[in-house]
Amino acid sequence: MKDIFKFSAQPEFENPSLIVGWEEDAGRLSPKVIECLNKKLQAQSFCEIEPTGFFSLGGVAIEDNVAQFPENRFYSSERKDLVIFKGNEPRYERYRFLNEISDLAQHSCRIRELYTIGGTISPIAHSSSRRILAVFNQHEFQKRLRGYGLEDMDWKGPPAINSYLLWTAKRRGIAGVSLWAEIPFYLAAGEDFQAIKTILLVLDKKFKLDLDFGELNEQIRDQNGKIARLREDDQDVDKYIGMLESELSLSREEQMELSKKVTEFFEKG
Amino acid sequence: MGIKLYKEPELKNSIMFCGWPGIGNIGINAIDTLRGVLGAEEFGEIEPWEFFDPREVVIEGGLLKALRFPSNKFYFKQVKDRDLIFFIGQEQPTEGRTRYAEGQQAYQIANLVLDVAEKFDCRRVYTSGAAVTQIHHTAKPRVWAVPNSQNLVNEVKQYENTILMSEIEGRKEQGIITGLNGLLLGVAKKRGLEAICVMGEIPYYLQAAPWPYPKGSKSVLEVLTKILNISIDLSRLDELAQSVEESVEEFLESLYRTEAIPSEVRDEIEKLRHTEPAELGPITEEEQKKIMEHIDELFDQRRSEG
Repeated sequence: MKDIFKFSAQPEFENPSLIVGWEEDAGRLSPKVIECLNKKLQAQSFCEIEPTGFFSLGGVAIEDNVAQFPENRFYSSERKDLVIFKGNEPRYERYRFLNEISDLAQHSCRIRELYTIGGTISPIAHSSSRRILAVFNQHEFQKRLRGYGLEDMDWKGPPAINSYLLWTAKRRGIAGVSLWAEIPFYLAAGEDFQAIKTILLVLDKKFKLDLDFGELNEQIRDQNGKIARLREDDQDVDKYIGMLESELSLSREEQMELSKKVTEFFEKG
Repeated sequence: MGIKLYKEPELKNSIMFCGWPGIGNIGINAIDTLRGVLGAEEFGEIEPWEFFDPREVVIEGGLLKALRFPSNKFYFKQVKDRDLIFFIGQEQPTEGRTRYAEGQQAYQIANLVLDVAEKFDCRRVYTSGAAVTQIHHTAKPRVWAVPNSQNLVNEVKQYENTILMSEIEGRKEQGIITGLNGLLLGVAKKRGLEAICVMGEIPYYLQAAPWPYPKGSKSVLEVLTKILNISIDLSRLDELAQSVEESVEEFLESLYRTEAIPSEVRDEIEKLRHTEPAELGPITEEEQKKIMEHIDELFDQRRSEG
């Protein structure tokens, strides 16, 4: 089998944790969290995964007027206890892809713990606090992370890629957790700064990162302010968000209307 | 990647029957019905993760309990001093690119199935699928049979209600069996192992339908049980066939009534109602395309509404 990894450096780690995020995520949660971590740690890519076999390479997708190309990179920094991965979900051969990530993490980086980051769409208002739902692949690890404000998830249905990765890690005896931050459904298509902050607070506490939340707090204030103005201008938006704040559920049509109006509002800038 | 055996039964001169999902699920429903009625015992599986994506995750109390993949299981049963092996696959490996199994993964899985066959002294493999033909849904489907060796042709000729490719007008003894049913035949041939694919007929206008086609499965089962010289209770399959036939009638009636399909298409389908399958010539690609354009679209519509 051809080696899928292209190394640009060989950093040394000491029992590190691997933090995994994906480019496509509700509320842009995991790419923003990874970007924030990489910025704080001044992390550099040391390895990338060749896309051949995992992605359709018949052309490039265009998003926001820009040609995109799948990128899957591992990052390292001066912190020898952290490895970061950000990637695009593979289209083909998902098992091989995830197994290779686990293999590199286990044998080249000798990771101790795996953390995957993701957003889960929820029927909550943006003014609510965001719960973080957690899924562990080992009961012992679950006990070790008590005290971080995580709530146990229950779910039976189609698996997300994070669950698939957690499963491959479990088969190798690597302790892992998927952290799922709630994203109000009407912010899923854009950015949910509150959810991003909620996840970063947990990682900050766990890894003693000493993150500066000033810029993020500003973005949260700005986003909340814009939604408040939209509520003043649009009675339906105000009514629907008010219902969510009163823990009343919306019909499917109402949810779609609210999502459309909020998304269009933010797209207009 | 590999095979996981829970037990190693002592089998001699065994016969293997393989079923996968396909058009009208004719093959898998026939083989799985036989397996179920005979009460065959599970004895192994092909580890699925290199071939299939998981279908379901089970998370309870914050713990990942299970990741469930399509199953690919082996069963065995001794019937009248004959050792039978069944292989039932819930999905064909498509590598995400094609509708039917093809490529490296399909070849690997075909070899794994035959590794088990040979390990348990298998002398004959039967695969089963669908033959898309110009038959009406009220007619009794025939079974098309394709052996992987010339030595088997005379034997196949003895099967009731069964035809060879040479007996189908316009086919010139040629055709293609897509997916694992065909591939397994080829890989078995490469290994010098006898194999026959038995395909129950399905009307071409139902090949994309969301229903199974139990009439085709029943015809296949009638052939297989004759080969094994056993009789089994097919009443459940009969009931299902009756119910599907009523649904098809109802669906076509509603299309005719609402003029959702052109009258010429309706006439083409209705003409088949009164024609014996043997009298029908081959479907031209143009005729089939014309009809399928309309019917497939309507099935897709029904699926998205449902």
